[in-house]
Amino acid sequence: MSRTDLHGIAELMSLPCSVSVLRGESALEHLNRSLTVDTIGMPEKGRLDGFLCNANGRILDRLLICRLEEELVLIGNHGAGKATREVLIRGIAWDEEITVMDGDGAVSHLRLVGAAPNRCIAGMGIDPNEVDAGHWTEYGSALLSRSYFQGVDSIDMIVPTAELAALIKLLEENGAVVPDSARCELVRIELGMLDHREMNEGFLPMEIGLDSMVDLTKGCYPGQEVHARLDSRGSPTRGIAMLRLDSEVGVGRLKLPGGGSLVVTASASTRQETVALAVVPLRLIEDGTVDLGGGSFAEVQSL
Amino acid sequence: MDRTASTVTVSGSRVARPETYLATGLFSVPSTLGAWRLSYWVMARARWFPQPLKYPLLTGEVMGILGGDGFTLPVVSPVEVVDVEIEFTESARRALKSSMDGDENTHVLIVSAQSGGCSGYLYDMQISEDPGDEGFQRMDVEGVTVLVHDKDSFMLSGIRIDFKDTLMGGGFQIENPNADRSCGCGQSFG
Repeated sequence: MSRTDLHGIAELMSLPCSVSVLRGESALEHLNRSLTVDTIGMPEKGRLDGFLCNANGRILDRLLICRLEEELVLIGNHGAGKATREVLIRGIAWDEEITVMDGDGAVSHLRLVGAAPNRCIAGMGIDPNEVDAGHWTEYGSALLSRSYFQGVDSIDMIVPTAELAALIKLLEENGAVVPDSARCELVRIELGMLDHREMNEGFLPMEIGLDSMVDLTKGCYPGQEVHARLDSRGSPTRGIAMLRLDSEVGVGRLKLPGGGSLVVTASASTRQETVALAVVPLRLIEDGTVDLGGGSFAEVQSL
Repeated sequence: MDRTASTVTVSGSRVARPETYLATGLFSVPSTLGAWRLSYWVMARARWFPQPLKYPLLTGEVMGILGGDGFTLPVVSPVEVVDVEIEFTESARRALKSSMDGDENTHVLIVSAQSGGCSGYLYDMQISEDPGDEGFQRMDVEGVTVLVHDKDSFMLSGIRIDFKDTLMGGGFQIENPNADRSCGCGQSFG
């Protein structure tokens, strides 16, 4: 998505999520044993994005972590909260005092995306320079942090759901607009903002281009053997890409006439074209085009 | 306008010269946003920033991200509790006795599992003072008290503990019939 296609200030995307809270002195150590990222030494109001994987290295949940003293707020994939909490509870050692709480629905996740999201938050009295990718900045009860997608700046916000409407109103007063779901999906695909449709048990982190959320130097965690093997023996055989084509394409596995298959995870159509996110064989990314059959061809762009 | 005097504090967040930031950003905005540019410029010049007066959090009490409704009491995940049986090989018994070094009356061996390792769970064995917790099942192995917590009973019942006296890869080894997989080092299972 070129910058000219972005909203001039920012669009406000509501991101469905699960919410869990870990409380206890050793919560960070406990989490560190399970996640793909090193949580030890995470600073107060620090932010980390990591995966909870199974022993085969596949993604069980994506967790966006916020540390608030002895409490860790875990923003996970939509619908994955219960399973994640069960995994976390089962792994608590007998001598650890850790409480796990279900906060699904209690906290909401918003994302400001556009040409000038900083303008929007500056209007709210927040210094944009204080909002960065590594930590959360407090704004009333809300917490703000920064993410980048395809080089486009975005602001992540988590807020108690009780105050969601008030925050949205304030953001709108400062130039943000709330797009419809079709536009949200289009922006998500064009900018490669992955969610539970890509970050799930069907894929390895390396297959969806999120190697940066895996720390192979931190020591063992579930799935580490598989990730380390992939790292040392080259690259995965498939990767995430954006497809751009004239006709519509459905979500799911698609057999290719030339052999092999790809998995379309999401698609959105405009009057001119259809864009889709798909996990495809790497050779297709190198080729830059794919024959989908039935006379339909798609341009393949690496994310 | 005196820019140096424009630092303000809102809800603990220091906002340094907001009008300077906004002014420098004015020219990067697409021309269709003329109205926005003008309004921001006017607001900045008039030093109206920041004015987040309509957000209730800043005028009322700040509840914090965890202060709202909707959080449950601590989640409890039911675990199956079984009567634990552990087999110690002869060499493991000898090694355990030797490790206790005469502290059998005051110390116990706790065998447990916790999250981690390549396969999902890690074994842990530690000699410590008796925690006196009713959640443990107790076994006697040649005068040494061995404890396994109820929460680990399903994962650890039926394990066989061996001891290998070798320089490399030696020490206590656990074979677990409940494990679907284990990692190369033998310390992790799933």
